[in-house]
Amino acid sequence: MLLDLLESIQSFSLMVYHAARYCVTNFRSREVLIQMDRIGVGSVPIVFLASLFAGLDMALQFEVVMAPYGAKALLGKVVATSIVRDMGPVMASLVMSARVTSGIASEVGMMQATSQIEALSVMGVDPVDQIVAPRILSGIVMMPILSVIGDFLGIFGGLVIAFLAAHIPAPLYWSGVREALTLPNMVNGAVKPLVFGFILTSVGCFYGMKAGGGAAMVGRTTTRAVVAAAVWILVANFLISKLLLNLWGNEG
Amino acid sequence: MIEFENVSLGYGDKVIVREITLEIPDGKTLVILGGSGSGKSTLLKGVLGLLHCFSGRIVVNGAVVDSLTQNELLSYRQRIGMVFQEGALFDSMTVGENVGFWLWEHTDMTDSEIEARVRLLLSFVGLIDAINLYPGELSGGMKRRVAIARAMAPQDPLVMLYDEPTTGLDPFTSKSICDLIRQVQKEFGVSSLVVTHDLQDAFRVGDLFTFVKDGTLVVTGDRDAISKSTDPFVRTFLAI
Repeated sequence: MLLDLLESIQSFSLMVYHAARYCVTNFRSREVLIQMDRIGVGSVPIVFLASLFAGLDMALQFEVVMAPYGAKALLGKVVATSIVRDMGPVMASLVMSARVTSGIASEVGMMQATSQIEALSVMGVDPVDQIVAPRILSGIVMMPILSVIGDFLGIFGGLVIAFLAAHIPAPLYWSGVREALTLPNMVNGAVKPLVFGFILTSVGCFYGMKAGGGAAMVGRTTTRAVVAAAVWILVANFLISKLLLNLWGNEG
Repeated sequence: MIEFENVSLGYGDKVIVREITLEIPDGKTLVILGGSGSGKSTLLKGVLGLLHCFSGRIVVNGAVVDSLTQNELLSYRQRIGMVFQEGALFDSMTVGENVGFWLWEHTDMTDSEIEARVRLLLSFVGLIDAINLYPGELSGGMKRRVAIARAMAPQDPLVMLYDEPTTGLDPFTSKSICDLIRQVQKEFGVSSLVVTHDLQDAFRVGDLFTFVKDGTLVVTGDRDAISKSTDPFVRTFLAI
């Protein structure tokens, strides 16, 4: 059990190391662009919907809690802080894990099951170079962009509730949002998607490369990949939050 | 020339083929026959350097496969034409991209030169009209043909390896694939290793034959030698 875990950690580390090396030494622009389109552009609609409704719901809940204390005017700041620091990147990443991690794990897993990975090796091409490196790089590049889109939509959702349900004037809401966009909060919101983009794609690739056997095995591997990615995103979110809180204090 | 010198191969600690000695002369096709799980495909993986020998050595045109460094192994594999079971074509690429992949990866040829070579190879296997199709749009036989064209992409392959090239195909398509394998061998003069469990196809493509049972060679020789073998396993195989 422990040996298996150590072996997995070693394999994962080696895969990531080689992928990072290939990103520098053998940059595959065409493959990276294709993956950026699939991972990034293809995920815009689902991030759009998830973030919008998360923002709507968050504002609704905060408004209920804050109203008795006469703190409704702070709704913009509270919603924006929550979204930019935490909920935006986490929500977008969790939704993305269902789409991107599962997609990568099943695609790479099927390639493994149908000997396409072996064919690459036989043709003198390292599968990590052709398959893993472009996907990880695309995830790291596209996740922050998707996160910004998600943040904006979440804040916009909050505005809808603030205006329609809490009857807060839009300028007051926006001034609260502006107050929330401090450097510590922005750094928080920028660092997390980078790490989450890495987790989403590397975990998908790792499980896909380990898949063997037929369709049933690929299915099981895909499920494991999605669960692992979701758990690691939440763990990483906590660790980054803690690290940045220690660094910045409670500013923001 | 491909030489197996007292070779034992396997996965992890499990030995699949034991102390095999075999020689495939230049320009000849050796067919490895045997039942499922007998170790036929394992021998191909040994030639490709995907598995390390537990004992003995595999020598291909003077190169000892196990002693190659990682970079040498990559270069060596670039000159091995391998046709996988069911083709193993890259799903995300068109037929043309599959065939041209090796050339894009390992040569300085321009796009137009690559396209010309791809067209030539696809004409050779009779699939020039499928150049823009994806593997998912091809029949089983077409996939094998594309796989053969892809395996021939290097200008000077040292050897061609075929892993169950006709499995799952109807008799007509099987025969056409066998004819194609024969044509490749004649026109390019490469040594070939074909793994199959189909005796009829074996006799269509092979110059030499070897039977593998439980990881060991039962008998090796030309068609006459095989036909005259008194080994009960071979007699049973021939009688089926």
